[in-house]
Amino acid sequence: MPEQAFAGEHIVGLQTAPDDVLRVEHISKRFGPITALRDVNLHLRKGEVLGLLGDNGAGKSTLIKIICGFHKQDSGTMWLKGAPYQPKSVDDARAHGIDTVYQDLALVDELSVYHNLFLRRERVARPIPFLANREMRREARKALDQIGINIPHIDVPVARLSGGQRQAIAVARTVSSEADILLLDEPLAAMGAKEGGQILDLISRLKEEGRVSVIMILHNYAHVFATCDRVSLIADGVISLDKPTSETSVEELNEIIVEEYRRARQALLAEEAEAAKARDAAA
Amino acid sequence: MAVAPDKAPAKEAPQGPAPSRALGVVALGLARRFLTLREGSIIVVTLIAAIYFSTTVTNFLSIANLKSLIPYFAFLAIMAAGEVFVMTLGEIDLSIGALYLVTPFAYWKLTQAGVPLVPSVLLALVIAMGFGAVNGFFTAYVGIASFVATLAMLFFLDGLTLIVSHSEEITTPGTSVVHVATFAQVFGAGTYSELFWALGIIVILQIILSFTRWGLYTVATGGNRLGAAEAGINTRLVLLRNFVLCSLTAGFAGILEAVRTSSMSPDPSGSQSDLLLAIAAVIIGGTLMTGGSGTVVGALIGALFLGILTDGLVVKGVSATYEDLYLGIAIIIAMTVNVYVQRVRRGSGRA
Repeated sequence: MPEQAFAGEHIVGLQTAPDDVLRVEHISKRFGPITALRDVNLHLRKGEVLGLLGDNGAGKSTLIKIICGFHKQDSGTMWLKGAPYQPKSVDDARAHGIDTVYQDLALVDELSVYHNLFLRRERVARPIPFLANREMRREARKALDQIGINIPHIDVPVARLSGGQRQAIAVARTVSSEADILLLDEPLAAMGAKEGGQILDLISRLKEEGRVSVIMILHNYAHVFATCDRVSLIADGVISLDKPTSETSVEELNEIIVEEYRRARQALLAEEAEAAKARDAAA
Repeated sequence: MAVAPDKAPAKEAPQGPAPSRALGVVALGLARRFLTLREGSIIVVTLIAAIYFSTTVTNFLSIANLKSLIPYFAFLAIMAAGEVFVMTLGEIDLSIGALYLVTPFAYWKLTQAGVPLVPSVLLALVIAMGFGAVNGFFTAYVGIASFVATLAMLFFLDGLTLIVSHSEEITTPGTSVVHVATFAQVFGAGTYSELFWALGIIVILQIILSFTRWGLYTVATGGNRLGAAEAGINTRLVLLRNFVLCSLTAGFAGILEAVRTSSMSPDPSGSQSDLLLAIAAVIIGGTLMTGGSGTVVGALIGALFLGILTDGLVVKGVSATYEDLYLGIAIIIAMTVNVYVQRVRRGSGRA
């Protein structure tokens, strides 16, 4: 199969560094007939920002969702700060210090900004566990101000906010958590240049503080080179490139993508030719 | 028509002198705030219905008639209160009528087995919650649409009731002349018993919905099931426990009514129309069928509206033949006003 041959050529084996906080080894995942991840090896060093690249459907989001405990891999192991790591749930991953901004943002339109910010981390009063709304409002305001994103009203349902504001809230939710590993699935997708710049600045600032390590899915190479220390490229369910940003270039990344398209197209043409041949044989 | 009395003074205000203009602005603001309440429109519609009957029927607003109104809406409000939680999830529980029917029979069987009255009530409610857990299990964990799962439960429980009762009417234990005592007074037979239960349950459930994690997770799961799960909420458990809550209120309403009327008849058709009225009360009250937004107080007012309508038509002497017809027309009018007011709400920035 041409598909197999392509993957075989480009697989990046397991690479490690002594200061890894997270290692992902030989992860595979299928959804019914679809193979999302075939054999993924990935590592994340302490304090670095890793850019995760790849075509649509390459398996980036699936990998993120396995690390954050939403999906469970079919095979493969993960290591967190040297210990075996297998999250039982999103909550469990969060308890291990891993928090996520999902591609779909995981916001509830009907709930207010501050309830969304604190979803699953609600502050409650004691001894009767009523929601401590005033406290959450205050802390939400503080968290948003720290990020520098302007959300004038935190009492309104998030349904009333712009795409960029919603995204900022999703990012704020993760950044303001106690997590030290952040997984960001396209955190800039719905943002304008100015808002996107603010989020990237925020990521850079967090990096300088040295508290967090970040895996970030991005599409815009300008963002990648501005923010990431290293890039990993997923293609066809495996990692096919893993390089420090300083050692690669827009041209190289583009070339890989273009090459990938060409191979995918060739595979498709070959498949069609085979199908046509089979039809002819049948006739 | 519903809006006119509130808005009229505000519209005149701009021509008036400064103080009255300020007053007008305040009035307009208040009117807007009130109408943008999730329950605002149904309050208006209910008031209109009450005013209509009080002007056309003598003594409609008398204490005697208010007392006679209670049995028309109190148990419905209790059933509707639990249904609000399920419908806020974007699901529906069609088995509440059947639970309302079967739970008194469970209570009766328990007393026959020698269990004292109050423990029998509690155990019967636990049984009702067990049926709710089955509803929740098939909906949340097996993945059957709640409409279908609870429809199956409806038939199952109706059948169970017929079998257990041998299709015969039964005198509710604890209500015979010998026993007329605090028990019956508390659990439905007292004049205001059902009203107090209804108000108490409404207040508690509204607090749970608005001010606790339980309510927050219910709204989150109803509003964005995937997003809630991604945020770490155990959405299946949220579904399960709300089905349990819903069957608890339905079962309790059944026991209250059985004690009030001092008899229980295994008549599925009666409980089916109660099911539909309860769901109507929830929707008229302002809970969205699509999930993500619900109001327990609204369901109470929805039930009150239906109660006023039924009671009003009876007191007015409308032939029973016409009752359902008027009910249908009234519901469609109420909902039309609701839809209109909801548009105003969306414009005002409160979803």
